[in-house]
Amino acid sequence: MGAPKKSAARVSVSEDHDELVRVPLQAILLADSFTTKFRPITLERPKVLLPLVNVPMINYTLTWLESAGVEEVFVFCCAHSKQVINYLEKSEWLSQPNFTVTTIESQNSVSAGDALRVIYERNVIQGDFVLISGDTVSNMSLTQALLEHKERKKKDSKAVMTMVIKRSKTNPAIHQSRLGTDEIFMAIDPNTKQLLYYEDKADYSKGTLHLENSLLADNPSLSLHHDKQDCYIDICSPEVLSLFTDNFDYQHLRRHFVKGLLVDDIMGYQIFVHEIRSDYAARIDNFRSYDTVSKDIIHRWTYPLVPDIMNIGNTATKLERQGIYRGSEISQSQSAVIGPFTVIGSGTKIGNNTKILKSVVGEGCKIGSNVLIEGCYIWDNVTIEDGCKLRHAIVCDGVIMKSGSVLEPGVVLSFKVVVGQGFVVPAYSHVSLLQQPIEEDSDEELEYADSTSAITSTVDKTDGVIASKVLDTHFIPASELGFGGVGYVWPKCEGGHEEEWRHSVAPITEDKILEAVKAMEDELELIHDGKNLPLSGELIPNSNDDSDDDDNDDSRDDFDKEVEATFLRAVHENIQENHLTLEVNSLKLSYNKIAADCAGALFYAMMKYAVDMPHSSADSLVQNVEAILTKWKKVLTSYLNDMDEQIEVILKFEEMCLESAKEYAPLFTKILHYMYNEDIIEEDAILSWEDEKKDADESDRVFVKQAQKLIQWLKEAPEEDDDEDE
Amino acid sequence: MPDVHSLVNDFVNQLKKRKIEGSQATAKQAAELLRSVISQQRVPQTNQATALINAVRAVGEKLIAANPVELAVGNIVRRVLHIIREEDLSLATAAIAGLELSPGSDDEDDVERDDYPVLSAAAVAAAARSTLRPPSLQTLLEDTPISAANPHTSSSGGDSEGKSRSVDKSSRGRKLKHDVIEAVNELIQDISTCYEQIAEQAVEHIHQNEVILTLGSSKTVLEFLCAAKEKKRSFKVFVAEGAPRYQGHLLAKELASRGLQTTVITDSAVFAMISRVNMVIVGAHAVMANGGIIAPVGLNMVALAAERHAVPFVVLAGSHKLCPLYPHNPEVLLNELRSPSELLDFGEFSDCMDSASGGGSLHVVNPTFDYVPPKLVSLFITDTGGHNPSYMYRLIADYYSADDLVVKRRPATGS
Amino acid sequence: MEGEGSAMEKNPKISAYYQTRLAHFGVVSSEWLAQAQSATNPIPSSSTNTYPDNESNFSVIDEFNRWRNHPDLAEAVAAIRALAAVISSSKASTMMQLEIELKNASDSLKAWDTTSISLTAASDLFMRYVTRTSALEFEDFHSAKSRLIERADKFGEISYKARKIIAMLSQDFIFDGCTILVHGFSRVVFEVLKLAAHNKKRFRVFCTEGRPDRSGLRLSNELAKLDVPVKLVIDSAVAYTMDEVNMVLVGADGVVESGGIINMMGTYQIALVANSMNKPVYVAAESYKFARHYPLDQKDLAPALRPVDFGVPIPSKVEVECSARDYTPPQYLTLLFTDLGVLTPSVVSDELIQLYL
Repeated sequence: MGAPKKSAARVSVSEDHDELVRVPLQAILLADSFTTKFRPITLERPKVLLPLVNVPMINYTLTWLESAGVEEVFVFCCAHSKQVINYLEKSEWLSQPNFTVTTIESQNSVSAGDALRVIYERNVIQGDFVLISGDTVSNMSLTQALLEHKERKKKDSKAVMTMVIKRSKTNPAIHQSRLGTDEIFMAIDPNTKQLLYYEDKADYSKGTLHLENSLLADNPSLSLHHDKQDCYIDICSPEVLSLFTDNFDYQHLRRHFVKGLLVDDIMGYQIFVHEIRSDYAARIDNFRSYDTVSKDIIHRWTYPLVPDIMNIGNTATKLERQGIYRGSEISQSQSAVIGPFTVIGSGTKIGNNTKILKSVVGEGCKIGSNVLIEGCYIWDNVTIEDGCKLRHAIVCDGVIMKSGSVLEPGVVLSFKVVVGQGFVVPAYSHVSLLQQPIEEDSDEELEYADSTSAITSTVDKTDGVIASKVLDTHFIPASELGFGGVGYVWPKCEGGHEEEWRHSVAPITEDKILEAVKAMEDELELIHDGKNLPLSGELIPNSNDDSDDDDNDDSRDDFDKEVEATFLRAVHENIQENHLTLEVNSLKLSYNKIAADCAGALFYAMMKYAVDMPHSSADSLVQNVEAILTKWKKVLTSYLNDMDEQIEVILKFEEMCLESAKEYAPLFTKILHYMYNEDIIEEDAILSWEDEKKDADESDRVFVKQAQKLIQWLKEAPEEDDDEDE
Repeated sequence: MPDVHSLVNDFVNQLKKRKIEGSQATAKQAAELLRSVISQQRVPQTNQATALINAVRAVGEKLIAANPVELAVGNIVRRVLHIIREEDLSLATAAIAGLELSPGSDDEDDVERDDYPVLSAAAVAAAARSTLRPPSLQTLLEDTPISAANPHTSSSGGDSEGKSRSVDKSSRGRKLKHDVIEAVNELIQDISTCYEQIAEQAVEHIHQNEVILTLGSSKTVLEFLCAAKEKKRSFKVFVAEGAPRYQGHLLAKELASRGLQTTVITDSAVFAMISRVNMVIVGAHAVMANGGIIAPVGLNMVALAAERHAVPFVVLAGSHKLCPLYPHNPEVLLNELRSPSELLDFGEFSDCMDSASGGGSLHVVNPTFDYVPPKLVSLFITDTGGHNPSYMYRLIADYYSADDLVVKRRPATGS
Repeated sequence: MEGEGSAMEKNPKISAYYQTRLAHFGVVSSEWLAQAQSATNPIPSSSTNTYPDNESNFSVIDEFNRWRNHPDLAEAVAAIRALAAVISSSKASTMMQLEIELKNASDSLKAWDTTSISLTAASDLFMRYVTRTSALEFEDFHSAKSRLIERADKFGEISYKARKIIAMLSQDFIFDGCTILVHGFSRVVFEVLKLAAHNKKRFRVFCTEGRPDRSGLRLSNELAKLDVPVKLVIDSAVAYTMDEVNMVLVGADGVVESGGIINMMGTYQIALVANSMNKPVYVAAESYKFARHYPLDQKDLAPALRPVDFGVPIPSKVEVECSARDYTPPQYLTLLFTDLGVLTPSVVSDELIQLYL
């Protein structure tokens, strides 16, 4: 590898420097995220120049670096490098005292790794430096982190990097942080703060996490976190650069470099973490984090990097009550309503009866009358004509929305797109004047190849409905954005983008969460079915068995009772169907059950409830049952995707008729028929149930006999040729 | 010049990033900065004062824009402008007085005269002084003489004595600059010693065995209490901790280390304790022209509690905190909303702020200041003595000239 | 116009002040105001020349009435203009004579309507300014006289501009989204609101009805023309609506030495309500309304009478309170917007006392 010599030499040099001359604190700012998550916008403008609450992102990063005491910044420009350089030249950043900004341009770097290798070749980094990308917003104080880094370095020259982390809870249902990034698992030595394990692509389908045995053996104590957010602010020693140069296959800072160091144990280099508590730091990785960070800025977590203080340019923004930020010279009609936590750029005109809620509106926009804007990010000089409705969309500079057009949640309109009169842009579509490039960039593959494949596999099965709905946009001819519209609606490409809802600015709807949860569970089940992996020592009942495991009776009873109680509560408290599903799902997880159990238990609970309801005759009992089944059908059917599950329901019903609720015995066929009509139970299920019972005792076949007529009818109705007789 | 320029930028930067805290430090730095602006400003032959005023205004405008909430900056800018006007005036008066003593001595006298040709020295002085005061009924018409006399100026000044004039003017210019710098030095001196001057009055206000309540931490209050302690007064101090920054803790520590009997209470306990208190003594962020104060958050509550129990509410404020502006909508315009992280731990509450999955309903508001209306303030103690809130405008009239109320050169329209 | 003004009957039941107002407001509209405004602009320059030869029969009252008929011109400003004309048309040859002439003119003006506070105040102020000692240092009578005229014109001009200055000064206090309660039709208040609307501020105005002359209705009409949202409120609903109000803005007939104001009937009551609900009460008043009065209570000022129409015949035994104005003590006022700046009542008090010391 050749790393030891080089880095050792550098270490001694830099240490000497530390003692003799004060090395100015340097920073490397990557003005390119090397991803395509902000397409189509980033085809026309680099990500670091996109406005975040009306200020180009790079300003946040530079402002922070300056106030954190960094003296020299190297801005690495790659994509659209000319634009970045032009912007910086026009801004005041190049003429600051005690803060030099130097741009480094490289056209052929495709990853952070390449960028660092280029910088290493330039030989400009003299000591410890801050590595940050140009889309990071922070107000943290570096002093403490730097001090810790330096002290560790003094004690042990192998401590090459300090990562800044911050606590932030993830959404347990979809394993995603509030920034829209994947949940990260980190193992940290609580005493030394050494980072021992880093996994941002945990495989939830297995529900397990693999830690090396040695990790546990070597470290007396270790704390495993999943609620830490990686701020992507690193304090690095110069060795980091040479490490990248030595390992030329390192591309991604985390996936390759950090994991590389942790797993391969290169030269014993160590990474440490520094947790910030009251300070703020976050990186804008996708549209979701764009939304979240914007809101954090508006809510002033990033103070003093807030719109009313950090005025780039001449226009002052004023903060009014309830978090309304207003630029100067806004002309607003008396009847227009601006809701709390909204930013309006200067020179914007707002017409009558227009409502703007929780949005950011840039400078010089013209907004007509009766417009509704909610949760949107509208950049500069956008024209929105009368009667438009925009919800949770990003609208770039110069877009024109003709009157009455609608943007559904998650839409991204790139620069200068024109939406035709009355046109409804479907949810999550990306619209640009440019066609979608056919080839994915190589860096995208490098970076996200593993992630996309993982996601597609989870999504394939369950997201079918949604995916096809989204795919409809395929069929909209590209130039068609309604009458007078200009722009191409980008077709969704395979892989990755199906999970648009995860990363868009639109809030995640409940059914998406449900689907995600379900997808995860199905995945788990598939694996359990296949490999029969025991999860927590308890055996999982196999759904193929026609009789229940006796060992499991206790837990089964508990589970049934819990489900029944949950169902009754749902009935009495008027809880929504999907909430009930959620609750049953959580029970299912905690009791380690499969869908068939849920179906059985739920069905049992419903029938029990029906029979407990006052009824005078058998007819009214049937009515009760029908009413309940119709009302909660959706919940029940969500567990009845499979024949096995439906059979379980029939078996359960049989059991009830025999034991707990004998009143049902005479009505068995009637209710079964009803369920068949309502598509709760399919034909095949009934037939295979009958089939199963063929060889059973006579006593067990009471109900098969009772249902004989129905079965017969079922057999005959579709296929006359069936001559099998009982 | 570039030197001053970078100094100005540096200070603007610090103000913008909220790196300077405390009105005293800000005031002092602003004054020092303006001093160097003045000393580096080249003075033209004529209208030296105007040149200086314009230079100070240009810088002042930037400084005020950098942090409009830190009123001390604006105050100091206006004070310096006032000083320039005053020094210019006193020079003019002196020159005319000299002229009166030696009538018709030589050409230069004519030169001197051309500013105020017809009127007597006293009249000129009176007229010019009036420009330093806010407009009032009396002064409404007083400036007529000057404007009436102005046409004379151009006609009477002969071209011949250009040389001697320039010599004299430049020396006068230098003199003016020198005087102004001297005066600014005095101002800086005043700012740094205002604690002592306020503290000197402590014995008159704090009596034996009294109970004093304060909130948060203020250096002025600390010095004031300690000065009373040094004069062998024995009294007790209640310190409300001043959430969310809890600077009261620091003050309590400091007071206790100086041997004062100190009790820390929560902010919410103020009302419960106020009946036992003899006097509330607090510091202010700024004193407005109507006698209202901008003060650390929580003080309005304390003032109301004090009013309820008829406890005197005494505000200590150095004269650099006197602001010639009236508060309009002070709760919003003159406030600073700081980061919510001072109140809550971000990590703990991050799930309540996850707008993506519908949890974005938690909002945190962390205002820095309260506005206490003048009727709740019993007494101001400044470095010039104790004053009634309704008297503040007089002090302001002494310190500022009306022309400087608006530092921006554009007339202020809009909010 | 002159005939019209002088022909106005002196009805002892109605104060002349209110007669003038009535006469003006009967026809007043914003277009007409604008016309009148443009018409008045050239007048200041001509004022000194109009009546120089109108020798013996120059009457200050006639002159006053002539000025008074400009609806946009306050009565006080008309008085100032008239007094200025007195100086320029005077044939006095000594300072003393001139002063006596001026004094007589001002007395007759004051006597013309003893109930108008601003008229009295403006005359007093004029005398005070114009004849201040420093102006009389000049030995030459003619130059002294020209200086007097100069001053008088300047004073007239300042007074004339006062409204615009006040409107500008008070803009800061009208913030976006605020609700302002106004009482009566004050031209300064209207000017303030007009400028605010012009500056695209978003605010709402509650107008009291302003019985008995219903001046609030007129104000609401004018504001509606400017597209300002207005709500009319009967006088007795002030307390009911006060919780929605952010500030009270009133004009004044006169500002007195205590710092309080004398204004249209009902102001006191509104100020009391506002005070008890902790809402600021702002007064917009030109400095020529600063009067040498120190009322101790409501009855301490000469009542200006005004007919009150109850719509039904009132039996003669029933007494009717006809006073047109009340006195609002300074403790109920928050700030006064004057052409001298934004002042607290105590500052006003100081100013006045100093002036007439």
